[in-house]
Amino acid sequence: MSERGLRVQELRASAGGTSILKGINLAVEPGRVHALMGPNGSGKSTLAFSLTGHPGFKVESGTVTLDGLDLLAISPDKRAKAGLFLSFQYPAAIPGVKVANFLFAARQALHPGDLPPAKFRALLLEKMDLLDMDPSFMGRYLNDGFSGGEKKRLEMLQLAMLSPKYAVLDETDSGLDVDALRAVGESVNAMRASEAGKETGFLIITHYPRILQYVKPDVVHVMIDGRIVKEGDAELAQRIEREGYDTIREEIAQIA
Amino acid sequence: MPSTLERLAVPQHADESIMSRGRRQELLTKAFDSRSGRERPGQFWKIDLDGLDFSALNVAPPSAPRIKAPDKPGVIACDLTTAARKHPQLFARAFGSAAGALNSKFAMLATALCNTGTFIYVPADQAVDDPIEITYTVENGALFPYTLVLLDRGAHCTIIERLEGRTGDTVCGIAEIAGGENSSVTYASEQSLPAETQAFFTRVAAPGKDSSVTWCVAELGAALAVTSVDVAIDNPGVQAQLNGFFFPRDNQHVDLISTIRHNVGESQSQTLIKSAATGHGQARYLGNIRIAPHAQGTQASLRDDALLLSPHAHIDSVPALEIGANDVKAFHGATIGALDEDVIFYMESRGITRAAAEKMIALGFFEPVIERFPTEALRGRLRSALEAKIA
Repeated sequence: MSERGLRVQELRASAGGTSILKGINLAVEPGRVHALMGPNGSGKSTLAFSLTGHPGFKVESGTVTLDGLDLLAISPDKRAKAGLFLSFQYPAAIPGVKVANFLFAARQALHPGDLPPAKFRALLLEKMDLLDMDPSFMGRYLNDGFSGGEKKRLEMLQLAMLSPKYAVLDETDSGLDVDALRAVGESVNAMRASEAGKETGFLIITHYPRILQYVKPDVVHVMIDGRIVKEGDAELAQRIEREGYDTIREEIAQIA
Repeated sequence: MPSTLERLAVPQHADESIMSRGRRQELLTKAFDSRSGRERPGQFWKIDLDGLDFSALNVAPPSAPRIKAPDKPGVIACDLTTAARKHPQLFARAFGSAAGALNSKFAMLATALCNTGTFIYVPADQAVDDPIEITYTVENGALFPYTLVLLDRGAHCTIIERLEGRTGDTVCGIAEIAGGENSSVTYASEQSLPAETQAFFTRVAAPGKDSSVTWCVAELGAALAVTSVDVAIDNPGVQAQLNGFFFPRDNQHVDLISTIRHNVGESQSQTLIKSAATGHGQARYLGNIRIAPHAQGTQASLRDDALLLSPHAHIDSVPALEIGANDVKAFHGATIGALDEDVIFYMESRGITRAAAEKMIALGFFEPVIERFPTEALRGRLRSALEAKIA
């Protein structure tokens, strides 16, 4: 069976012996924008790391498939090759490895031989321009001494350069000023409008609906205490903006 | 049976224009009587430098190094013997000018048994932009290379020394720099000797007023590489820089001691060392900055990072600042650690395999120091050599 989509079923995961994800069911469809909202500590980042295979998180049970492929059975680099991308909330710094070289290595790993260096460079400059990044960025060491905004722009640059099938953006909006936030939003929209990115499914993780003013979600999932407790359309995000998570918590308490 | 001294003093080929036979004998006796001056740093260190036996050395007959130098008026780049005969005054000005630092066992051994060498002279205000390249090749027995560099006022040059070998004989050498006022010199050494070699190097510099001296030291080969770098700052306005890296693997040992002596004030020094070890590789680095009591206005920094790539690898890292003056800027920082799992995961999440990620991180680790080496060709060779060591 090869059903398209990034499909998470009954996913349970723990970190350091503590159960965090308590049965997640979620499906990200190609070409659609899903928002995953929830208060701090609800398990959103754990979901992102469990999907991508971070060694610090242990999947206890459940399944994750990407266009039918069992992701949990393969290593993190193979998950990326299958088309999964994670924009990190706290990207790692790699002194001595230049942005351009890193991106070229990643692009080669994911799309072997599809872009000769000169074309790669042209594409890189084009995407950097879109993100208001100075060309000198290419020669800087990856995230080494970068400001918070620069790191997030670099994550978006990687997203644009790597053309994944499914992109998980883990709080890419946190700590950004308005300009950086707009640049991030525009970059996602530009990607969605492009030939390479129109089929990309997005899972935008945020606890603050600001970014959703720039990128309109098709589906909003609300996560509280390791479970998806509510789903809706963009209106749900606006409601959270107005009321916070408390009314949703009350709603769930009543149902239970 | 001839004594070790008689056998080793190679009187047949000793070049009296460099040094008298008597002086050689005297130095050699002293060298054999001296201790290395290098203590055993800890229980993990397997080499006892004082226990090394030099009595059975097979000393190579005298030879001239390969020297490639740009043709510039007044610039001399020739083998040491020729220099001592043809340019005795220039030779005498430079030879032993940093002698205070040559009083160690290995330096004495290298001087007494010197069987190859290079003399570089750059006249006043002459800038030699293209590098002067010297290659010492070990092929017919133990090699004792002596590189002597003299820069007159305002002179500038870059020197690249390559050490290679076809046999695993011992190498024990010296590089000595005498820098005139306002001169600047970059001296890079690329040590890629065969795996069974024992190599001992003493690198000393005596920079003149307002001059700059940069040592770049790459220890890639040899089973045991023991190096001292010593810069004695006796004039104000000096800019001294030491950039070094090493990467012992398998059973290689690297032992580097650097000493920057700020004997007068108003001078600057920067030391940057990157070391990694894998397999059962061992290294130690002792980085000394000494600021004399009256050396006010000194600015000195020392940065030393070590990366352990195997559970059996071992690196001792000992930065030491000795500050006698009260109006100085001195900084030292040392880090040591293994590869960061979060960084590896980050790269894996971009499709890069774990093995490739480890390699990129390790190569990147050396990059800040490699960038300080002269010429793109040398940097390229160093990167390839490191890449081959990681593989």
